[in-house]
Amino acid sequence: MQMKKFINDPKNLVKELLEGYVLAYPDKVKLSGPGTVVRAAPKAAGNVRLVTIGGSGHEPGLSGFVGKGMLDTSVAGEIFAAPGAPKCVVALRDACKGGSSALLIVLNHAGDVLSADIAMEAVEREKLPVKMVLTEEDISGPVGDRRGLVGCVAVYKVAGAAAELGASLDECAAIAQRMADNMRTLAVAVRTATHPATGNPIFELGDDEMEIGMGQHGEAGTGRMKLKSADETAEIMLEKLLDDLGAKEGDELLVLLNGAGATTLMELFLVFRRVAQLLEAKKIKLVRQAIGEFITTQEQSGFQMMIARMDPEMIRLWDEPADASFFVKH
Amino acid sequence: MFAEAAELIRSQNEVLSRLDSQCGDGDHGTTMMRAMETLEAATGSSASARNLSETLREGGWNVMGVDGGASSALLGSFISGMGDTELGDAADCATMARSLKTGLQSVLKRTKAKPGDKTMMDALIPAVEAFEAAAADGAAIGKAMNQAAAAAEAGAASTKNLVARHGRAKYLGEKTLGCADAGATSMALLFRGFGVALAKTEEN
Repeated sequence: MQMKKFINDPKNLVKELLEGYVLAYPDKVKLSGPGTVVRAAPKAAGNVRLVTIGGSGHEPGLSGFVGKGMLDTSVAGEIFAAPGAPKCVVALRDACKGGSSALLIVLNHAGDVLSADIAMEAVEREKLPVKMVLTEEDISGPVGDRRGLVGCVAVYKVAGAAAELGASLDECAAIAQRMADNMRTLAVAVRTATHPATGNPIFELGDDEMEIGMGQHGEAGTGRMKLKSADETAEIMLEKLLDDLGAKEGDELLVLLNGAGATTLMELFLVFRRVAQLLEAKKIKLVRQAIGEFITTQEQSGFQMMIARMDPEMIRLWDEPADASFFVKH
Repeated sequence: MFAEAAELIRSQNEVLSRLDSQCGDGDHGTTMMRAMETLEAATGSSASARNLSETLREGGWNVMGVDGGASSALLGSFISGMGDTELGDAADCATMARSLKTGLQSVLKRTKAKPGDKTMMDALIPAVEAFEAAAADGAAIGKAMNQAAAAAEAGAASTKNLVARHGRAKYLGEKTLGCADAGATSMALLFRGFGVALAKTEEN
């Protein structure tokens, strides 16, 4: 299959996409260096700054969540590849300027964790006040070896709100960790995407198949099966998530549906409708929800379903205003 | 010696990308090209660092900066770890053995990949061991490095019969059988480049 994408020289993809992004949202974001997106108007000095790192090609993730009430800095790597430690160190040093401290939020992928660990050692040698929280909520893997998927957005939201309200670094790290511990995600894919720099399909899937447990980069999952309806798919995925979380009657849940890039909002609403019905039948309260494209994988078809058990403080922080280019709350 | 390794990797970059597209996302060749370009700049005649160890530490840090995910982070750790051994202006065989060892240790600190997991470790570990053995036997540095390269190449070839158990390729499971690991292959090229360069200096 021939790749059909509007790109220029693949070598300049990330540079050009970030330049375009900051030009599109000049009142919200700017580049502080190659590959590093920061708020156009920095947060008051002294408050905790939220920094995240991750590969590109997943727009609007992750840089789309830089903005008031969410991230302060996003360090972007190449297509599907982690940014290197040197850039992360510079971003963390900048975040700590003026007496601030920084919370580094990292999605569990080998390259991202490597760069984050190397960067954390470097800033710890410099005695900078930085803490790190890892998100690893993809239930398709065994505990201890789970990828970080769209749940990071909920972590940015609650920890970002806490930081905006003047919480300490320890408090921000604790709320981020609480969200990370209480969330679960599962992905499904029905059609592959092409790697925009190489033109190669990132995985193969039969025309009439779907695969549950697919990773952010098309890494194969464990549940390949014949394509199912929206209702059936919602049931299969929600059951697995509720079971893994140990959700029970009376629990209060946040549900997030994330389109992978080519799955329509129409489909996501069909799936969400069934999720809401199933939760009601189980007397589990759907207290908050968000449906849309948060972290995509090019033109991949499929979606990620994320659920999180909320407590009153997490709900309150979720409801705080946010003004990122791709996540706004009034 | 980095110029020769860069040359070799440049000439094979499409092979590396093709290997990677069978088990990964197909960008290993371009990642390695960027890493070697950076390393050449850091170690070339116009490099700003004062001695070999410092050059390696700086070069390794710059390789991590090419944003190539785990590949560049680990290669950068190896190069910068080599600089953890004091090398002075030029290395003899015993010093080089220590330098390769500190390089390997710095990678081992970063990755949980074990021999047989179908990763760059399947070339790197035997290469360092072969160099140490050759150095202990009193081999000249160029000969020792070429023996290390041969061990790395054998290690890389052996990954053909392995199922990936680490990194992104592990999710492909059995499908990774039959193709050599791209990271192990580029590691073998790196050692062969070192060997060619060091053997050349011995002839002069």
